Amino acid sequence: MDWKRFDGVRHNVGPVHLDLVESYAQGRISRRQFVRRGAVIGLSVPMISAVIAACGDDDASSPTGGAGTPGTGSAPGTTPGTASGSTTAPGTGPATTLVGGTPGGIITVGAQIPGALDPIAMQDLGAYGLIAQCFEFLATLGDDGRIAPGLAESWEPNEDGSVWTFQLRQGVKWQDGSDFSSADVAATMDRLVAAANAGLAGVIEEGAVDATDPNVAVFNLAAPNGNFPALVSVFNAQTPITPAAFESGMTLDGAPNGTGPWKLDRFDAATGCTFVRNDAWWGGQVPLDGTEFQFFDDLGTMLTAMQGGSVDALIQFSVIGGDALLSSPDFKVLDIQTATHRQVWMRTDEGQFADKRVRQALALTFDRDQMLETLFRGRGNIGNDHPIAPFFPYFDESVPQRTKNIDMAKQLLTDAGIDGLSAALQIPNLQEIPELAQLIVAGAAEAGINLQIAQESTQTFYGSQWCPGEPADPPCSGAAELGIVDYGDRPTPDIYLNAALKTNGIWNSSQYSNPDLDAAFSEFQSSVDVEGQKAACKTMETILNDEVPVGLPFFYNFLSGHSTEIQGVRITGLGQMFLDKASRV
Amino acid sequence: MARYILRRLAFSIITLFLLVTVVFLITNVFPSDPGRQIAGPFASQEQVDVLNEQLGTNDPLLNQYGRLLRSSVTFDYGDSFQVGQPVSELLWPALGRSAKLVLYGLVLTVPAAIAAGMFAARRRNTFIDRGIVTLGVASSSIPEFVSGVALQYFIGVKLGWFEVLALAPRGSNLITELKHLTLPALSLLVVYFGYIARMTRAGTIQALDADYTRTATMKGLSTRHVMRRHVARNALQPTVSVVGTQIGYLFSGLIGLELIFNYPGVGRLIYNASTSKDFPLLSAGVILVGIIYMICTLAADLIIAWMNPRARLQVTS
Repeated sequence: MDWKRFDGVRHNVGPVHLDLVESYAQGRISRRQFVRRGAVIGLSVPMISAVIAACGDDDASSPTGGAGTPGTGSAPGTTPGTASGSTTAPGTGPATTLVGGTPGGIITVGAQIPGALDPIAMQDLGAYGLIAQCFEFLATLGDDGRIAPGLAESWEPNEDGSVWTFQLRQGVKWQDGSDFSSADVAATMDRLVAAANAGLAGVIEEGAVDATDPNVAVFNLAAPNGNFPALVSVFNAQTPITPAAFESGMTLDGAPNGTGPWKLDRFDAATGCTFVRNDAWWGGQVPLDGTEFQFFDDLGTMLTAMQGGSVDALIQFSVIGGDALLSSPDFKVLDIQTATHRQVWMRTDEGQFADKRVRQALALTFDRDQMLETLFRGRGNIGNDHPIAPFFPYFDESVPQRTKNIDMAKQLLTDAGIDGLSAALQIPNLQEIPELAQLIVAGAAEAGINLQIAQESTQTFYGSQWCPGEPADPPCSGAAELGIVDYGDRPTPDIYLNAALKTNGIWNSSQYSNPDLDAAFSEFQSSVDVEGQKAACKTMETILNDEVPVGLPFFYNFLSGHSTEIQGVRITGLGQMFLDKASRV
Repeated sequence: MARYILRRLAFSIITLFLLVTVVFLITNVFPSDPGRQIAGPFASQEQVDVLNEQLGTNDPLLNQYGRLLRSSVTFDYGDSFQVGQPVSELLWPALGRSAKLVLYGLVLTVPAAIAAGMFAARRRNTFIDRGIVTLGVASSSIPEFVSGVALQYFIGVKLGWFEVLALAPRGSNLITELKHLTLPALSLLVVYFGYIARMTRAGTIQALDADYTRTATMKGLSTRHVMRRHVARNALQPTVSVVGTQIGYLFSGLIGLELIFNYPGVGRLIYNASTSKDFPLLSAGVILVGIIYMICTLAADLIIAWMNPRARLQVTS
């Protein structure tokens, strides 16, 4: 330990940062957890490097070392959040850093057809990907897959994490030539509050941002929150900053005026859209002249287009059907560890699953390894019936992993007095969910549980089975007794817990209510130190694993990729592909 | 002839009226909530109700039917539920793209199939005749989306001769566009070649055996003259009729090919409108295809009347 250097760091950080630094120095958290958490709470890269060096790490010059290898397309289980092909941190220098590439030209990306391009209300990966080309976030995606400075150059909390101060980047202009300022941030946040953004609900209220100084946005939170920067980052897809004059309902194609590296040139909902370089971008001139996003409504066609050279990159593909790409030497796979998962919700307030032993029994019939292997060729992490993914810094590994145990499942059903349980398993016709449902049905049958799959279009499923609008109070109280629903990637488990598992949460289909869980979640949110968050997580993991309001068999990786003829492509687990550093090889 | 055309047009208007009515009935049979569909699963019921009010989906059915009839006259169907753009902005470009594909497919298919059919008929019961018939039956039995995938993989991906996606980049020249459209057009050829060739063969055999052909031959006319003036004119009438009706079908029936080759034509547009219950777009698309179908059938009948003096006489009488 280099105490002199370490002491220097300690004197230059605030109390929240200091707690993290001390946790790492004392070995309570790993280096990977330290780096990830440091990025969230605004510890600068030089500071992170200095701490690691002071604590005796040989590779201190690269705080990401060992946590994934940028530029190689990270293997499963390495870098969460992204994969990257370049090495310059965003926000730390001009984007024109071009290593071995050829400037100019355009890149064609295969993407799913987007829904409405309203930044605040968008709900699909297709829209996320397009919005992120033009609009930017306070905190964006770093090359290491973690949060990095975006429109905010830095941020720091007050002592208890209830006030977060974001220093905004100066010299940033909207594409119409006007200046970006804290007023835009304040207006965007008010719109997000009005739209009940799932990540910010209960975290901030209207008027939360003090925009007195045009270069500083001060967030006054409803309660202390140690993960707040993640909630206004690229990982909360609906939070890009839009101009103050923007109104809910305005869309990218209707009002193309962002701060980002690309300007929308043409948009056709049926075929695709093109972007041209924004020469006034604060990050400098990007290597490419432009990009084209070609829309597909069939994954198989998109894969063929990639193989046939008609597109250079894919936003997303799946293991099922994507074997040819996974083994192709001409295709670079971007395999991103994410918290994306499926929840098997079970009504806890009424019906056949109201007894927790029945819920436990069903969860015991899951062959989690088989599910992950069959559906994703093992690309993901096993779940333990709670939404705290094992790679989160505050994940507590002491809660025993539930594994398949048919005898115990049968015993639990007998103890609950259940004989001949039969139920409909409601599912949307989405991605691998029908196949997952078949695996669940087969496993359940071994324990004598008779499940029948009831499949519905995604367009009706959410409103009719998962969370019907009526009855409206409490939310989702009209949900079916058993079903599978999809949850996308999030940087923290706040949304999963707040919306799906907290009492009266807006997506609480299992109608679960437990004051102990609610209290632990509040404690988790208000903790600004890793130790406090980890303690709260242990409580939540234990409760949820025991009571099983939702079965959660796995978290799976996000698969994206591109031709080896291009480089510098970065992408998040939410399908936001960043091409500001991309070029042809 | 003019009276015939007027009569056909009058029938077409009645047919269109019935089509609009059927479309309205079908779209109202589906259980749907357009407001929920637009606002998404996470919107409040209040927001959904407001949207439904704005869209007029809460109005009495008679009012909605009246609106659809008016729209069908002005061809102004308002905005698409799904995309939010005017229906016409989505439909016309898709129609143009479908027309290109259908036209190119027919240019490749029809001359080759007619030539092969007539060739086979003149060499009746020979190895060539049987070969053409067998090949035609075999190729016709392969659905276009199966041959499409095969052609896409072997010719597009493996050999790299043609583009695997049908839509050429914006501003492409004709050669590039054709390069993109060739694989789906060849898929059409695979399906329709056999059908049209067999139809032509049968018509040609019948014409060759007809008295007027025998008379023409006995008058000493050259074989070429007999084939062109007497056989072809009569033999091709069923073929023209079939091609005419198939064109109407092709405008909306190529969903499989359009999906495989990621081609945003009318078929895919109607399919997506149907799965997403985008009723303005669905209604407009179906009615447009109905109009095209009627125009093509009318055109085929007029061509047949022009080719066959007896048909002309029947028409005018």
